[in-house]
Amino acid sequence: MASLVSVKGLKMSFGDLEILKGIDLEVRRGEVLSIIGPSGSGKTTILRCLNLLERPTGGQIDIDGQNLCNEDSDGQMEYATKRNLREIRKGIGLVFQQFNLFPHMTALENIVEAPMAVNNVDRSTAVEAARDLLESVGLAKWADHYPLQMSGGQQQRVAIARALAMEPAVMLFDEVTSAVDPELVGEILLVMRHLAEQGMTMLVVTHEMNFAADVSDRVLFMDNGVVVEEGPATQVLGAPQNARTRGFLRAVRDRAPMDEEQQ
Amino acid sequence: MSIDTIQEYVPIILKGFWITVRLFLWSLIFSTVAGFILALMRISSVAILRWISGLIGWLFRGIPLLLILFYAFFALPEISRSLMFDPFWAAVVGLSIWTAAYQSEAIRSGIIAVEKGQFEASEALGMTKRHYMRRIVIPQSIRITVPPFIGNAINTMKQTSLAAVITVPEMTLLARQIISEDFKVAEPLLALAFIYLVLTTLLLMVQLGLERIFRLKV
Repeated sequence: MASLVSVKGLKMSFGDLEILKGIDLEVRRGEVLSIIGPSGSGKTTILRCLNLLERPTGGQIDIDGQNLCNEDSDGQMEYATKRNLREIRKGIGLVFQQFNLFPHMTALENIVEAPMAVNNVDRSTAVEAARDLLESVGLAKWADHYPLQMSGGQQQRVAIARALAMEPAVMLFDEVTSAVDPELVGEILLVMRHLAEQGMTMLVVTHEMNFAADVSDRVLFMDNGVVVEEGPATQVLGAPQNARTRGFLRAVRDRAPMDEEQQ
Repeated sequence: MSIDTIQEYVPIILKGFWITVRLFLWSLIFSTVAGFILALMRISSVAILRWISGLIGWLFRGIPLLLILFYAFFALPEISRSLMFDPFWAAVVGLSIWTAAYQSEAIRSGIIAVEKGQFEASEALGMTKRHYMRRIVIPQSIRITVPPFIGNAINTMKQTSLAAVITVPEMTLLARQIISEDFKVAEPLLALAFIYLVLTTLLLMVQLGLERIFRLKV
């Protein structure tokens, strides 16, 4: 089956700092891929490159048959035009670590804004869809509340609903549980689990190893801007081949410091 | 000096009240529109627009308002007869340009203070820049812009008094006439100060109202 997300040789540098050193990854339709790794390894940068919030300095990205960027034979980068990019972004749902809800709008208004403005959906249809989405994330009664009146877990579920309202082909989750209190992590993961069960294609950057193990089809471990190990979740998390993967998993599970040389 | 004389002078000075208020309101309207345009130019991706806006801000914040008013009234007609304004409109032109230079900074600082994540979330949802500036960024920037904006407006309110030097019969000019006719200084100036204080206090109340309206719902 063809890949929905295809990344080849992705490179990203900020000045002299090389964040991504040539990443290849493929995500098939309906697949859930978790990306794990120590902080600073470049996980988040991959997601941000996938809808050109960061412009890669090398490599090629295709999503759902549309080209976001590629490198010509001289090594010059070509990016999707503004208009094409907006078209492509409609099909990519992105959920941020910090939620980034619009604080001057209610939960419902947050969700209907983009479908109405970008997809020209009429208001009553958009509102009806938004109410269904709020119900599916367990927030039917919170439609008229403002983001700052909600807990982090609730805000993040609204943010997921907002991204889903555009009916994207793929959802990107960028450490979506890292900014919420521990007891609220579960409600977000539950929503994501349902999404995965419904067949949504998902790329999940996460520190939740149990979630990665239970929900993802494949897990990718990266460190220092390269993919160190990749494979079925059971293999990468259960029987990692690489010493760095083992060191990282031990550090996460036992909350023990990583060995110096493995950092 | 007596309270009675002060009370006697207030109604005389109040004859210039509406001219002061009109000077202020016209200048506020024009400077807000111009300041908004200058602010958008300043954050534009087009270099020449940023450059022009920066130049205007630098120029009109860098020279005295008195000089700008003199220029608007005495010098513009020398450039072209069509630029000859009566004193009132010359004062409005000068005050508007001067205020716009400050308001553009107030408005721009509000826009750039909106969190980067708001821009990113809007772009990730496929919104055009025009749309998210109008619906997401500018509404949030107003909350941040209100205090410096009203501060500038209060300054402009007080500086309408400079229009007296280009013969606009606003309150300060009337107070000066009283001084030269009655040879009394303290009473007319106190009466004048009192009226300005009332006006600037009203503006501070407007600020509190606006801050309440744009407060985020928590």
